Amino acid sequence: MIGSAALAAGAAVTAPFLLPKYHSDQRPKRSRVAILDAQQYSQQLDQILAAGLRLFPLDVRGKRVLLKPNLVDYIPGNTINTHPLLVLAAAESFRRLGAESVLVAEGPGHQRDTHLVLSQSGYDRCLRDERIQFVDLNRDQLIRTALRASYTGMKDLWLPRTVLEADFLVSMPKIKTHHWSGVTLSMKNMFGLVPGARYGWPKNILHWKGIQESILDLCATVPIHFVIADGIVAMEGNGPLNGSARPLGKIVLADDSVAADATCARLMGFEPERIGHIHEGSRFLGNASPALIEQVGETANAPATPFQVVPEFRRLRAL
Amino acid sequence: MLFDSKEISHYKVPTMATDSLVLSTLLAELALRQLPCGGWAALASSSQPAIEPTCYSALALGSVPAGDIERAQDFLLHTQNPNGSWPVFPGDDQEGGWVTSLAVMVLREVVPAIPARLQGFHWLMNCAGKESNWFWKWKFRIADRHVRFDPDKYGWPWFPDTVSWVVPTAFAVLTLNQIPCSCGGLEQVSYRVNRGVEMLLDRACPGGGWNAGNGVVYGSALAPHADDTAIALLALRDRAKEPVVQGSVDYLERVAATLTAPWSLAWAILALTAHRRPTTSLSSSLVALPDLSSIEDTSTLAVVCLALDQPRALQAFGVTL
Repeated sequence: MIGSAALAAGAAVTAPFLLPKYHSDQRPKRSRVAILDAQQYSQQLDQILAAGLRLFPLDVRGKRVLLKPNLVDYIPGNTINTHPLLVLAAAESFRRLGAESVLVAEGPGHQRDTHLVLSQSGYDRCLRDERIQFVDLNRDQLIRTALRASYTGMKDLWLPRTVLEADFLVSMPKIKTHHWSGVTLSMKNMFGLVPGARYGWPKNILHWKGIQESILDLCATVPIHFVIADGIVAMEGNGPLNGSARPLGKIVLADDSVAADATCARLMGFEPERIGHIHEGSRFLGNASPALIEQVGETANAPATPFQVVPEFRRLRAL
Repeated sequence: MLFDSKEISHYKVPTMATDSLVLSTLLAELALRQLPCGGWAALASSSQPAIEPTCYSALALGSVPAGDIERAQDFLLHTQNPNGSWPVFPGDDQEGGWVTSLAVMVLREVVPAIPARLQGFHWLMNCAGKESNWFWKWKFRIADRHVRFDPDKYGWPWFPDTVSWVVPTAFAVLTLNQIPCSCGGLEQVSYRVNRGVEMLLDRACPGGGWNAGNGVVYGSALAPHADDTAIALLALRDRAKEPVVQGSVDYLERVAATLTAPWSLAWAILALTAHRRPTTSLSSSLVALPDLSSIEDTSTLAVVCLALDQPRALQAFGVTL
């Protein structure tokens, strides 16, 4: 079913691209990534994150900041979603940095009842207590948006107004393996922008058009300004829903989503250039090469045991 | 008189009266949200009309003197695509989508809408999950077997050119079951409905219930969802003796008691009522949820209204008790 297109997509992306399929080269000359040590979800995340953000010359004063966590579904005991305490810490930090507004927005890709996911995953209470607005991107007002890359062959997508009107988009993925795309990190997290009300649950059209290709088209069209990746407890194996918890004890911050995802992949014990959307994204979206990434905080050491993956993605693991 | 289990000081709240009061308040709120064009937007804060919230709202307001149902019906008639389908919202691409089932259902008793409904029925008959094509059927059978399902059993996709999923199939089955006669090019209705029913039974999660349509992926059983399960069970009301259906009703009954989200709880009440399970305490839980009338999602508000008016809602969905 949805797997077929994904596997075909993987093959397509690893084939040579004869002509550029992107409109513009958006790569910065150099990118900065910070790996922060955080062993557990606690109120101290606030301080850890605030200290980490000071490592970047961020100016969000007067900007509308949109935090985009990975909120897919809730299964008791499974570490599926970006932890709400990390999202709260991010909201608080950006407020302190002078943002005009901070909101959280997501369009869950598996569960149609967004309210239920928010409630079961603990977001509902956290957001209400801190008076943070949540926007259900599956049902937001839509605007037809021309794609700024043509990997899928689609010319446009209907995208939520809230996303298009944000000044500063922060992708906040959960670091996980993914049975169709290998990994799901800050770039794959952008699938949550695609409205289920228009494209269905799961967002099946993106699978048929190619998961890797869809990630590239989306990231080319809606720029990610910053990444805060939740790797405190990550997921390995049959992700994104049914994998096993993998304590990693890290938060990854970056001003470049390709650099963030390449670094996360290394922390998982994977070769980033073997992941289609990271490899291709490094041609025009951001930097994957360590030579172009200024690493601050902890070092990006590969784990002694790489993350478990489904058999089709064993090739991602570093030798 | 039935009494709510929740006591407020020394006074016990009569359930029926509470339900009626809440329902009339919610219907009034729903009527207020109707846009000048006659439709409803997905969110209270939006001004972009959409077909799904319009259909649920029109069904909920169908028999009460609130809202302008004729204007809603006109809105639906004017937004139909040339190919007989309905778009998700006016201005959308014109290939159509799953909401066609809902629109056809809403226009059921509107005499001037008969040609539009017929076109809608024909579009539904011509729309099928991609796995109905021999090539994809073969591929799923031979080469792509990570998701466990039988590609011979196909239903309806959310949108053309993708595979079948549970919710669009369930609504298509409910809608096609409302066709008065299998004639005039609709002779294959029974065949398509039976394939759709088979597809639903095939895609159930191993422990009962349904999610979007992936019961087992990479050998792991995925969890069911209450709302998807409830909608599938409405479509399978006539298959109540099937073990899959019985197991799924049991699952829904278990999970419904724990639900705190109005959308899932409302659908669960409708499905459990259709399958003759008790729902009085669930209805009490539903009306006790805080801030129901300020629910941002209009479809949820409308489905809550439907759940508080079960006989009429089930009739609208073509489900007979």
